[in-house]
Amino acid sequence: MTSRERVKTALNHQSPDRIPIDFGSTSVTGIHCKVVESLRDYYGLEKHPVRIIEPFQMLGEVEADLQEALGIDCVSVFGPRNMFDIDESQLHQQRTPWGQEVMIASGIDLTPDKEGDVYIYAKGDRTFPPSAVMPSNCYFIDAVERQHFVDDDQLKAEDNLEEYGSLSDEDLQHFVQASQKAAGTGKAVIASFGGTALGDVAFIPGMGLKDPKGVRNVSEWYMSTVMRKEFVHELFDKQTEIAIQNYSRLWQAIGNNVDVVFTCGTDFGTQNSQFCSLDTYRELWLPYHKRLNDWIHQHTTWKVFKHTCGAVVPIIPGLIEAGFDILNPVQINAKDMDSTFLKKEFGKDLTFWGGGIDTQRILPDGTPEEIRSHVLKQCEILGRDGGFIFNAVHNIQANVPIENVVALMNTLNELKTL
Amino acid sequence: MADLQELYKAIVEGNLNVAKSITQEAMEEQIEPQVIINEHMSKAMQEIGKRFEEGKAFVPELLMSARAMKGALDIVKPHMAQSGTTSLGTVVIGTVKGDLHDIGKNLVASMLEGCGFKVVNLGSDISSDKFVAAVKEHHAQIVCLSALLTTTMHYMQKVIQALEEEGIRQQVKVMIGGAPVSEAFAHQIGADGYSENANAAVTLARTLVSA
Repeated sequence: MTSRERVKTALNHQSPDRIPIDFGSTSVTGIHCKVVESLRDYYGLEKHPVRIIEPFQMLGEVEADLQEALGIDCVSVFGPRNMFDIDESQLHQQRTPWGQEVMIASGIDLTPDKEGDVYIYAKGDRTFPPSAVMPSNCYFIDAVERQHFVDDDQLKAEDNLEEYGSLSDEDLQHFVQASQKAAGTGKAVIASFGGTALGDVAFIPGMGLKDPKGVRNVSEWYMSTVMRKEFVHELFDKQTEIAIQNYSRLWQAIGNNVDVVFTCGTDFGTQNSQFCSLDTYRELWLPYHKRLNDWIHQHTTWKVFKHTCGAVVPIIPGLIEAGFDILNPVQINAKDMDSTFLKKEFGKDLTFWGGGIDTQRILPDGTPEEIRSHVLKQCEILGRDGGFIFNAVHNIQANVPIENVVALMNTLNELKTL
Repeated sequence: MADLQELYKAIVEGNLNVAKSITQEAMEEQIEPQVIINEHMSKAMQEIGKRFEEGKAFVPELLMSARAMKGALDIVKPHMAQSGTTSLGTVVIGTVKGDLHDIGKNLVASMLEGCGFKVVNLGSDISSDKFVAAVKEHHAQIVCLSALLTTTMHYMQKVIQALEEEGIRQQVKVMIGGAPVSEAFAHQIGADGYSENANAAVTLARTLVSA
């Protein structure tokens, strides 16, 4: 089986020759650049600065040689610009605050200020206040919220739509070429076209906008889902309309060079609870999620990937109703997210893309033997009858001991030979 | 006359403007701040906290209640000193160095404040030096440390060490919270307690100050 066939078989809920593996195909299934460097060293691969493929979380590129070493079955298609609306085609070498040489978008300067903090500017324009910061001792970036006073009489959906518009011809061309190249690898192609996440708090602060308008503070946004429902409906409605127009052009130009589309990373779960009830999900999100998912299923061969962290058991029936095919990252250590229960209850409807290893305790703090037995157990439960792509619960973070990551990879190798 | 039952309702429902106007009215009628806080505000925050624990309210509702409560409390505060209102204790709270997540931490701060503690909210990305300085300056009885990341949670131990090195560890109780931390982790690093959510944090803080 080729990697692509393996992933497609699993997505069709049939048993592939082995469990397919993803590390690095999206911004939520990746590896921190520090760990990528350690893995390259461990496997004796060529030494060179790791390329940052997603600067917000400082994810490193899992290049073809490392993919080979890890047995990875999925490749990415990312957009031409990052979260800060900075061109990703122009790179320069920079040293991170922890002393690692990396290749990163030229519009990003990793030089810390005297407090040790690194500031990032929307579109690389330093004439406006910074839109994000990597505080000293931190290993990735977070938004700087720039919230003007919200005047409810003046607030318009367009204020929160500034970053969402029709795809330019150049951007479309970028996706066509990137998808062609990705499909040529024989691996499953996971595309992040962007613009389709509804109310994702990673995007709400508008880190790519120099002076964002509308609701841009995360707490204010959460409150808006209760007290400004009409505004949220109008925003989601218009954003979905734009998304479908863009997807229509993307499908015509790209077709089945892409296998999976990562459309929405809005988190509905916390460690122990949810951000809203199932009723609220059904009222506020479901109509728009369903509209886009139905369009995708009626017009394309793409499968739809939904990311939501946390304890989302009460929300999952809504996500299935909305037509999502894939759930990620399957946060198995959150409340009630028991793997056996999830597989039994929802395994026929959803492919679990994640849940392969707990990343809050086992991966960073477990022993290699604990890691092995945990991974074997997760694969046995989630991998039965397909419907499972191996991935950790979210990105592998900086400072996870390399011997633990290697123990994880060795276990996956062991599984291939069973 | 100010309808304080309506204040309770306004806070539970997260209605900022109503909460403020009733409180303003109550101040003009010279109702004791202690009565407003203990009998109404605190009970309202406990009620929304209870609904949160029962899965009947969620983070957005909690944020709205906290905002309504803070709006009301800002009106009451100037009257507290003159009426000799005492707090349950002083709490210094912050998200540890390297971590910018603060929504959950702010909810804990609001809940503690609404339930009668004096709260010094240092913000996020806070170094051990800043925690130590704040504990000394405000004579805090409790320090609350928050972290959302597995990469930053271990910094909590550094804060505890810094309190020990400064010889003030015995004066304060250390509470920890945040997604990746647990009761076991609290024991491991020598904290005095862990709480899973904002409501439980208030219960824990009350226990720690009365111990």
